[in-house]
Amino acid sequence: MKVHVDQKRCIGSGQCARTVPEVFDQRDEDGIVCLRTAQPDDRLAPAVRKAARHCPSQAIRIEEP
Amino acid sequence: MEPSSPDAPRFPFRRERPFDPPLRYAEARAAGPLSPVTLWNGRRAWLVTRHEEIRAVLTDDRRFSGAMAHPDFPTVTEARVTVDRNERAFVGMDHPEHDRYRRMFTREFSVRRMLALKPRIEAIAAGSIDEFVAHGPPADLAATLAVKFPSVVMSELVGSPYEDHRFIIDCAVGRHGLTQTPAEALEKARALAAYFRRLIDAKEAAPGDDLTSRVIESHVKPGLLSRDDFAEIGAMVLRAGHDTTTNMIGMGMLLVLRDDSLRRRLVAHPDSVDAAVEELLRYVTPVQFSPRRVALEDVEIGGVTVRKGEGLFLLLASANRDERVFAAPDRLDFARDASEHLTFGYGIHQCLGQTLARYELQVIYPALLRRLPGLRLAAPLEEIRFKDDMQIYGVHNLPVAW
Repeated sequence: MKVHVDQKRCIGSGQCARTVPEVFDQRDEDGIVCLRTAQPDDRLAPAVRKAARHCPSQAIRIEEP
Repeated sequence: MEPSSPDAPRFPFRRERPFDPPLRYAEARAAGPLSPVTLWNGRRAWLVTRHEEIRAVLTDDRRFSGAMAHPDFPTVTEARVTVDRNERAFVGMDHPEHDRYRRMFTREFSVRRMLALKPRIEAIAAGSIDEFVAHGPPADLAATLAVKFPSVVMSELVGSPYEDHRFIIDCAVGRHGLTQTPAEALEKARALAAYFRRLIDAKEAAPGDDLTSRVIESHVKPGLLSRDDFAEIGAMVLRAGHDTTTNMIGMGMLLVLRDDSLRRRLVAHPDSVDAAVEELLRYVTPVQFSPRRVALEDVEIGGVTVRKGEGLFLLLASANRDERVFAAPDRLDFARDASEHLTFGYGIHQCLGQTLARYELQVIYPALLRRLPGLRLAAPLEEIRFKDDMQIYGVHNLPVAW
């Protein structure tokens, strides 16, 4: 799985960072999403899908193999 | 004024049962994705009642506007028109203006910032419970602990003196009611913005370790945010932080104290507290008549055409009881995965303070139940006054003993 985030769309709700802190983080200066890793472990895949679905500004895109 | 008709009944509806949204929401969900209603001023609007369509409208910023100054923005009261027209904070703005302002505040509510605050939230909860215990029993939980705890958290976060919390709540309630005159509601909105404007002056003179002082430094001084704009945003933050969590504490405790199995789960299983809080958020859904949108062009939703200029109410309480998403939706069930709930809204306006609200609730429910194992309701349900007169639902009173 490959994860893409759109920092222009992000509104900093932090839901992804709360759901999968191993993958998603928020920039110190403005709370906007940034990635800890773009290619998370398989065991995190369900949580990453959930984070993408719950993102209020639909700023997370997932590429599945 | 156009009279209401059976095919477009007068909105808002009254609840038939205190813990469930109006039964008409379920009927509307069954009938179709959109239902026409008649508003106080005779205007027609649409209720959007299903989870999927609510998500779709709230993420379609191109065809639906959340600009509260829009002349066709739908309202539940005459007072709300005045409040909307005078809303200057980003809650009433569209992209990209909204994003520019919101981004000045997002880091103050980031997950990491809130996690760092959690020990302090726990300490404030313990102190507020100590004080609650010292004054009782009996006690009115809704008027004491449910107000005190979030008020202290907010005052520390924002840097507003705790003694001012009664004034802040009075301003919030006076603006969120369903019964105020336009002049009263506007006066409460203006009073809180004026209060925050004075707080900005005070923090410029004597900065502290708080949101207000930090935003002055990062955005006001470099000329990115005017003091007047900050005052409007600050008033919004204060209102949101005081009134909503308070109502979740009151309603949540009422529900838990009525059911021993729910209480046991919160006390005995710390791992399940987060899920229980999500379920309480889903089941209660304090925000009643927001978010709202106005169509910027003709839009077809599920075979119904919404015309340009028509208003929509996205009924979160209905989305949270949608049978398509939640099995047995009217059942409060701490074992379910309630994470699909839309209690904090969806789209670009989703609640800025949601992580703070979650942590406050995750801390206060189990802390109170552990401290007072004998806590019980001290009045029958008939004596509880529910907030049918408010735009944020909850209880006016919650008599308890231990």
